[in-house]
Amino acid sequence: MPVKWVLYWQPNQGSTVSTQILNEAAQCAESINGVKEGRWKATLNYYKPMLRDQSNHPDLPRDFLGISLADQPSKYYFIIRSQRIVVEADATIQLIMEKLQSYKSKVSLYFDGFQYQLGDFRLRVGRVVPVHSESIRGIVMEVEYLPISSMEKARKVMEEFVEIWHEALSKRSLSGKFVNSELNFGEFGLADTYTPQHTGVQYAIVMAHMIATVQPVVRG
Amino acid sequence: MECVVQGIIETQHVEALEILLQGLCGVQRERLRVHELTLKSVPNLGVVSSEVRLLCDLDQQPEPTWTVKHVGGAMRGAGADQISVMVRTMIESKVSKNALRMFYSLGYKLDHELLKVGFAFHFQRNAHISVSVSSVNKMPKIHAIDEAVPVTPGMQIVVVTAPATPENYSEVAAAVSSFCEFLAPLVHLSKPFISTGVVPTAAAAAASLMSDGGGTTL
Repeated sequence: MPVKWVLYWQPNQGSTVSTQILNEAAQCAESINGVKEGRWKATLNYYKPMLRDQSNHPDLPRDFLGISLADQPSKYYFIIRSQRIVVEADATIQLIMEKLQSYKSKVSLYFDGFQYQLGDFRLRVGRVVPVHSESIRGIVMEVEYLPISSMEKARKVMEEFVEIWHEALSKRSLSGKFVNSELNFGEFGLADTYTPQHTGVQYAIVMAHMIATVQPVVRG
Repeated sequence: MECVVQGIIETQHVEALEILLQGLCGVQRERLRVHELTLKSVPNLGVVSSEVRLLCDLDQQPEPTWTVKHVGGAMRGAGADQISVMVRTMIESKVSKNALRMFYSLGYKLDHELLKVGFAFHFQRNAHISVSVSSVNKMPKIHAIDEAVPVTPGMQIVVVTAPATPENYSEVAAAVSSFCEFLAPLVHLSKPFISTGVVPTAAAAAASLMSDGGGTTL
């Protein structure tokens, strides 16, 4: 599977995220000869434990999330970031979770947007919106380098691409930038060869950063 | 959803049963060596207490594979009483190998674990039917599969299952029932938790199958 980096939009201090930034990013992709290929979508669910006695709180994770990825429609990925756990399962695991009634999905988010082909790269730019809402909470960007599956081997060429991207985007004078979180996949038991579990972990980290740094919502 | 029946057979008659199954199913038998862990939710977690099974297929190459299984309640009522097989909800999902660690983190504890060793046949006969014959073994120490010993020495369990849907469970149940009749000389199969013991004439049936050299066609 090709190596993929998942970046997120970090607004400058005092700025907010908006659809306009998403549009600028999409236009930027086209300006560097990106060929629009179609839409993409991923869904992320935050789970909360269901407790019979609210006053008695066993030691349970607060960052348990599940994600379904655009590339893997028959699979589902669980991540508990604090425990450095990532699990791949069949999509039917969601039915099992519903039957167990021990955890419930309390917040669900969509990532959706357009994808572009740029030579050996595939780019996806998308907004982050709560399900049943149009309020944009963030912007993510996936950069995939198709010829290589090794994270280490792809590092330099990915860095160069992101550099080119930053340069192209800077001409649009936007108040913020796309950020790549450096993370240690080894802590999650993941190897150098890229897998969808790597993507799941990146989304979990991106969401943690977004929640911590992004300003509250602007409509439109 | 699945249709399921089970029964017990003396270990000495398992070889005869295998010959019978080979003739009936027309497929190669598969080895079965599954470590089954039953996890239960900690107190206070969940609307109700919940249980989930993790199955580790030890015979897969290059490394064992894991499945999460949720077995729900059986169908009840007059309709269910008329069916000789149990119809119950069942959902399975393949999972990566650290699923056990994840469930521990989510507040599930090991309730008990078993090692099932034997063989299985998977075939199509008006339904997708699986028959497994295995000894059920318990572990003296946690996860010590190499030290497992039979729960009931000299006895093995036979389980026949077939996946079903709310639309076709009647047909699947009929297919399972019909198939089970062929096994009646050696093992009596019934709904789980309704034990009927061993078949008294199993010894004679087994002797007949063994002396036949496995050539009997039913």
